[in-house]
Amino acid sequence: MTVKVEVKAGGMPHNNIMALGLIGSLVCVYLTYLNQLGNTQVFSFFGALAVVFAIVWGSNAIKVLCSYGIGTGVPSAGMMSLGSGVIAMLLATRYGIAAPIVAVIVAGIIGAILGYIANNVLSMHIPVMIRSITELAIVGALTLMGFAALATGSFTLTPLMSGAAGFSSSFIGASIIAVAFMLGGIAIQHPFNATLGPNWEQDRMLMLAAECVFLSAVMMAIISFAFVGMMAAIISLIVTVVGWVYTYMQFIALSKRDAAAWLDAKPIVEPEVA
Amino acid sequence: MTAIGAKPAAGAQMEPVPMAIGLILTLIIIAAAFVLTGSSMAVALVGIIVGGLLIGFGVHFVPVGGAPAAMGQAPGIATGVAMLAAGAGLAGLFGGAWAAELGFAVAIAGGAIGGGLMMAITCMMVTLIYVYGMGIPCASGKVAKDPISGDTQTEFKSQGTEGHGLPFSSYVGGVIGGILGGAGGTLIYLELLHIYEDKLPVILNAGIPAEVKTVAVSLAGIFAIGMFLVNAVLAAYNITGTTEGPADPKFKRFPRDIVASALASAVCGIVAIMIVL
Repeated sequence: MTVKVEVKAGGMPHNNIMALGLIGSLVCVYLTYLNQLGNTQVFSFFGALAVVFAIVWGSNAIKVLCSYGIGTGVPSAGMMSLGSGVIAMLLATRYGIAAPIVAVIVAGIIGAILGYIANNVLSMHIPVMIRSITELAIVGALTLMGFAALATGSFTLTPLMSGAAGFSSSFIGASIIAVAFMLGGIAIQHPFNATLGPNWEQDRMLMLAAECVFLSAVMMAIISFAFVGMMAAIISLIVTVVGWVYTYMQFIALSKRDAAAWLDAKPIVEPEVA
Repeated sequence: MTAIGAKPAAGAQMEPVPMAIGLILTLIIIAAAFVLTGSSMAVALVGIIVGGLLIGFGVHFVPVGGAPAAMGQAPGIATGVAMLAAGAGLAGLFGGAWAAELGFAVAIAGGAIGGGLMMAITCMMVTLIYVYGMGIPCASGKVAKDPISGDTQTEFKSQGTEGHGLPFSSYVGGVIGGILGGAGGTLIYLELLHIYEDKLPVILNAGIPAEVKTVAVSLAGIFAIGMFLVNAVLAAYNITGTTEGPADPKFKRFPRDIVASALASAVCGIVAIMIVL
């Protein structure tokens, strides 16, 4: 039986964050479907917001899991999340409008089995293991689906596989999905890994999570110039850059709040050589 | 308290009931693949499972040191298994994918050599940094004599540490792990690539199958990466983060991971196959 390492609970309960993340992420992914309904692409930026909801939830899930001391480092949980999520997400893209729901269900099944393996077969015996791995797999699937919607304006298989200049210039054909995989991986691994410790505060970690996602989403918005129209890509870029600047300033403000002291370090001034 | 520094609680004991459930589930999934999709898909699924087993078994050889190794308090490469898997395993996967057109055996060998070479370079640079950068000798904390070279270890081990640096057997273990991981990742990639090259033109209504080849390569590659990471992290959970390589007593836990990798690969593999059904 493991002992919880972190005593600090605090902040919003995990169940609330989970509900907010799951519903918010699904709603935002579905809002990108307005592209298909309105025959436009300007709603692609909702994909970035879907990833924000997903990874804010995911980083708190990693906190819940890793506060038991899994022994392999925080990033391993994020890698497993995206690794199982990408498998579920790609299968789900075949199901048209139902894709986000199918992604959640398939990722939930894969995650539950992986959680059972880790908890029982490998005898980790961590009370939240099965639940956390399940949640993380769903987060991974929604993250990639959000990034796919942000980059291409769609989350179904055929548009993701066929680009403007044939199959090889598509989201999957050009392996942009591998870039999305790593951008999502960085965003989900980093927040708890960077803020853990006795001075951990939930709001600071979640703000960092949002900041990491927006930073990754800026990259995907730039990539989206290759797939969606100029107008839609510029809107995505503006939304993600504004989101990043806002969350970054908020994160700095929260860091100043939690820091013992804040010294505005300046670069060392080289003495003038006469 | 960092998560990597916390003492993990996973015991060394085998649990017969969950392991039996895991094996039965694996067999059910293979049987379901056989009934639903035919023998060729079932054979491909078995190939994917074998690839997953190679990855999981290979990770047990890799000397993962984690944060204690970075401080010179434990032997091994000073990072987590997720990083080592992503580095060495994917190098192997790229090596194998490059050779995929040269035939099955050449591609597997290319993947194995790619993974092994990456680990050999990693281990050599790590040893250089340990010895000439940090000024610590390589000494195992788990064995008195190196099982391969026969060198004695205890004289070189600092008090209060579990050993430090990268002992010879850990070096060899790392290379073996890289070879197994690279071969396993390439095997998964090849099995999926054959399926996708057959089936994707039908799904996408592409007149010329060559047009969808890039999609098939990319799809098989990203699935292989996903399965590689899942198997590597499960193996890391089995050894609870840090190991010294084959000389470590934790190495004896590998039967648990055989079951775990088989079930995880079967679940992920059947999902990866279902995308083209």
